[in-house]
Amino acid sequence: MKIDLGPVTRLEGHLNVKTTISDNVVEDAQCVGEMFRGFEVILRGRDPLDAQQVTQRICGVCPYAHAIASSYAQEKAYNLAVPANGRILHNLIQGANHLYDYLLHFYQLSALDFVDVTAVLQYKGADHDLVKVREWVKAELASGKTYPAAPFLPRLSGKYVDDAEVNIGALKHYLEAMELQKKANRASAVFGGKFPHATAIFPGGCSQTPELDLIVTYQALIEEVRDFIHQKYIPDLVTVAKVFPEYWHIGQSKGGFMSFGLLPLGPQPDSKQLFAPGILSGANVSPVDFGAITEDVKYARYSSPTGLTVRAGELVPDPNKAAAYSWVKAPRYNGQMVEVGAAARVLVDYHQGNNPQVKKLVDHFATLAGITPDKLNSVLGRHLSRAICAAVIADFVLEECERIEPGKPAGAEIRIPATGEGYGATEASRGALLHYIRLQDHKVEKYECVVPTTWNCSPRDDKGNPGALESALIGTRVENPDEQIESVRIVHSFDPCLACAVH
Amino acid sequence: MLDRREFVKLAAVLSSAFSVGVLPEPVAAALKKIDPRSIPKLLYLQGQSCTGCSISLLQAESSSALTMITDFSQLAFHADLSATSGKQAIELIDKFVSGQAGEYVLALEGAIPEAMPEACVIGHKTLAAYLEEAAATMSAAVAIGTCACDGGIPAAEGNQTGAIGLQEFYRKHNIAKTVVNIRGCSVHPDWVWQTIVHLVKIGLPELTEGGSPSRFYGRTVHETCPRYHDFQQEMFAEKLGDKGCLFKLGCLGPQTHADCSSRWWNGGQTWCIDANAPCIGCASPLFARKKNMPFYRTNRQG
Repeated sequence: MKIDLGPVTRLEGHLNVKTTISDNVVEDAQCVGEMFRGFEVILRGRDPLDAQQVTQRICGVCPYAHAIASSYAQEKAYNLAVPANGRILHNLIQGANHLYDYLLHFYQLSALDFVDVTAVLQYKGADHDLVKVREWVKAELASGKTYPAAPFLPRLSGKYVDDAEVNIGALKHYLEAMELQKKANRASAVFGGKFPHATAIFPGGCSQTPELDLIVTYQALIEEVRDFIHQKYIPDLVTVAKVFPEYWHIGQSKGGFMSFGLLPLGPQPDSKQLFAPGILSGANVSPVDFGAITEDVKYARYSSPTGLTVRAGELVPDPNKAAAYSWVKAPRYNGQMVEVGAAARVLVDYHQGNNPQVKKLVDHFATLAGITPDKLNSVLGRHLSRAICAAVIADFVLEECERIEPGKPAGAEIRIPATGEGYGATEASRGALLHYIRLQDHKVEKYECVVPTTWNCSPRDDKGNPGALESALIGTRVENPDEQIESVRIVHSFDPCLACAVH
Repeated sequence: MLDRREFVKLAAVLSSAFSVGVLPEPVAAALKKIDPRSIPKLLYLQGQSCTGCSISLLQAESSSALTMITDFSQLAFHADLSATSGKQAIELIDKFVSGQAGEYVLALEGAIPEAMPEACVIGHKTLAAYLEEAAATMSAAVAIGTCACDGGIPAAEGNQTGAIGLQEFYRKHNIAKTVVNIRGCSVHPDWVWQTIVHLVKIGLPELTEGGSPSRFYGRTVHETCPRYHDFQQEMFAEKLGDKGCLFKLGCLGPQTHADCSSRWWNGGQTWCIDANAPCIGCASPLFARKKNMPFYRTNRQG
């Protein structure tokens, strides 16, 4: 039986998943990216300083990650010396963006897979927002409309949390999380100029000067977010894990893991990072070589050559290409599929013993849940990995504030050479993000992006091997093949961003 | 700006295009609670978009996004928020678009790949097919963000998909439909939510020549810029990071119609120019359009 899961909602962009079901098991899965814009071609011939603005528009959920990757790439291409304040402001902006994104993902994008919001009808308390939602749902259900209480209903059939108090608590936190996301975004906008799509980020730092009042504002906002992470987000996740422990064993991808490292601890290009980069295969971590990345397009809608390296990347769309089923290319590392994202970021760091806080948190939660760390490769494991990243990053950005030299400029003087090239690599909240820029006559000659969801939602490579999400879906047992809430939970655990994946 | 006569003429054209008659009656008392049964549903579709406008809508402060969804609009479908998914979601969209689920306002975020319709598909249909069908059943259309209004970055020079905005799409397909254009890359949440409140409570707001609500887009960023004084005194920033008027660095405030300079962003915390970042004209119909029109004008070639 063939069932399409698209449009899969509560993720960024246009994703379909074509499944083949046999005896209630997903026998095959194909991830289909359904939207194409062509950023890499649009960037050619432009002024290089346009790039950190244009590439933010690849994704309005994680624009800052693109601004940072583009800035890093341009810094290399311009051979730019970055002032300490500049790198710190980059970190503060990117860190705050991660925090907002984790809250958005857990509450707005994922919670409705597990939590029963109709429990609000049983609410007896006096909380303003919950009373408002209760009365609204009541009026909606009584209205005789075709689709009452949208966008919360209708929903897929399946098992949801059945404890009314837990559901009501989670709904309250769903609403609170929206307020906290605004605070995290306001914090990043203090230095970035606005959110989404920051205008104050440049290669080498920011045009905003970190005056003391701005630093204090940032700290106050992030402290509130940090408290929410510890007091609500992590406990809510633990509760969901207790009700759905089977999801420690559902949704494993079948390849290695890759992280490019996140948040440099100093302005030098080779600075140690808060999360260390690496390729994890089994328990072995090896360093990342950008030259080992190629993109296959046998099953992607492009007529440009397949298997090209990033430096040699091409982009010729062919919407009706035979056998192609997605706009997403299939990137591979040394020919192998890898998973990227929060679980990769945490596992790659954990296995190198880079950040003691990461190790402590992984061990703590693994003991609590009765799992081994390799189970981070699962639906719940990916959720837990995000929460671990959130806790570590919140502490880090607050410490980073203390290292700012208040009132000192945070930007570098930019001179664009006629020729030059550079890779810029970082971790978006969704995983390993690579930008590459090459200049000719002071203009962009080539710009390439290999983006987290390009890896995770990749179609088959030329050898026919599935991408990370495809491999995680295959073999999954589903109760109702038509709706497949189990598959949808797996998809959501990767937090796909299709605008990023195709760009 | 339109003069009075032009505006009356435009309003007449718009009200017929919009079937204003089927929108709720004007509400005299501004604070009167709206009857939820009379609020049109919002069918929110995404084209060649980055979701930045949707994310921006969630940054609304007064009122919050929750209030906007429960009290002033009814979000029938939004791909980022809806619990429904897959076949169920397609059925829901189809019911509205075919006119079987009652009155609705179409909100579009993102551009339309006119030359390559396969470059944007929802379920089994192209976005273009949905938009053509919806034209016959919707009460009004709101284009959210510069991409939906004018094509935005997907329509920038050299693009491969022939991306265009909603108004131009309807013109090209000989469909008489006027679109309210809320420009910005991304939009400011107030611009969208307050326009929707206006549509629901009073009807069509006064629009500029470009079809954008005059309340938000009537003046340029430059006119109400807090650094207008610096401009007049010729106190110009010479390099990135400097205070003063950013005009010499390429600031597009003088050409860009939007009220960022008085409204500010992210709960009034900040905005581009307060962070010494020149306006890049993201609310302009020509945003990022030309390769030879860089965002920044700095003497920086090494």
